[in-house]
Amino acid sequence: MNHQLRSLFFIWSMILLSIILMVIPVPDVIEQYRLPWLKMTVIFFSIFNISLIGIISVWFSGLILDIMTGGLMGENALILAVLSYLSYRFRFQVRVYPMWQIMIVVLILLSLGELIALWIHGVSGNMFFNIYDWINVGIAVVVWPIFMRGLEKMQSSFLE
Amino acid sequence: MPLHPQQRINRFEKNFSAYRLIIVVIISCVLMYQDYQKNYLSVLRVYLSASFYPVQYLINLPNNFIQKLNINFSEREKLLQENKSLKKDNFELRSKIQQVYKLESENKRLYDLLGSQPNRDNSLIFADIVAVSPIAEKHQIIINKGSRDDVVIGSAVADSNGILGHIIRDQIFGSEVLLISDREHAIPVEIVRTNLRSIAVGTGNYNQLRINTLPTNTDIKKGDILITSGLGGRYPEGFPVGTVTDVINNPGESFLEINVTPFGNLKTVNEIWVIQPIEGR
Repeated sequence: MNHQLRSLFFIWSMILLSIILMVIPVPDVIEQYRLPWLKMTVIFFSIFNISLIGIISVWFSGLILDIMTGGLMGENALILAVLSYLSYRFRFQVRVYPMWQIMIVVLILLSLGELIALWIHGVSGNMFFNIYDWINVGIAVVVWPIFMRGLEKMQSSFLE
Repeated sequence: MPLHPQQRINRFEKNFSAYRLIIVVIISCVLMYQDYQKNYLSVLRVYLSASFYPVQYLINLPNNFIQKLNINFSEREKLLQENKSLKKDNFELRSKIQQVYKLESENKRLYDLLGSQPNRDNSLIFADIVAVSPIAEKHQIIINKGSRDDVVIGSAVADSNGILGHIIRDQIFGSEVLLISDREHAIPVEIVRTNLRSIAVGTGNYNQLRINTLPTNTDIKKGDILITSGLGGRYPEGFPVGTVTDVINNPGESFLEINVTPFGNLKTVNEIWVIQPIEGR
């Protein structure tokens, strides 16, 4: 039980940290290159540590992000729920892949997220193509090995 | 007691079941639609944003604190210099206001002669900026005055130089402001020199607005001043918006492409005021 509580605490503090990283004010130069931290964290946990996370909790974290960023309520929530579900479904294959294949899977998932966002923007009448979103997806995929190893290290040291 | 492996798998399957995904997708679509239409669930959003206001405040605290610190630790010489220039400005403005009193009374007399209604005074509420939207293409800010301080949705927001935007959402202790440079924003303007009315839309660039609804034979040139026209009823009449920086006449196009630089400092704003319509209170 103790282990479970710690795990729960770890997962939620990581999700909160990524929400904070998404909304904290940064200088203009870095502003454009803000990585999709919450999506990355959710994908990681949906593949590698599914014990205390589910679609509903992921959805709520997305809703918090929507409210904090002033976006359409439910947009990020929907995207995160879909990404989390897909990551969970392919978790057995992804876990045994070598790193470069995991990176490809992350690229596909993050691109799908951007695509859903584009659809939602298109339906709500203000679709514009922001090249930086896609550049950030590329950067996120490149830094994914470091991100994943770092999170794994933190997880193992925290849950010892 | 540790769970049996099969029980664990069952729980994962339940947590990530397709049914839950479908339910969540449907709820999200309903939420998005309602939020977009701004009808039934807008109250829910107000309370949710109000409950996250402290978190937002805390997240932006370091940034605001550093800015305040910068002001406090700026040099004495600089402060004295600033004080001096402010005094000069104040003196100039006071002397200008003396003429305004005369103009105002004259204006009122003329309106009385015409028998029509003059535009009424607006009341101002001073506010500070708490947060800026982290999404680059969304030009939104959050200010520290909300419906608790009688701010109403739709009021215009300005700084000492010109119009900045208007209030789109209430957060009880704060409110969200859409800036005039946002791509979804359009402001009815009037060209002071010719009294021509038009609409300036945001470009997603903090120091540029664009007018692209004026035909090529329009009398407009670089340096023309734009003020709010008061049409549409959202923005009060006569507040400065910006100045024309470029008039581009593309051959073959039937409309001019006019670039406008806003007067208000949309990027680094400190104190702002909310212009409350008298009827709105």
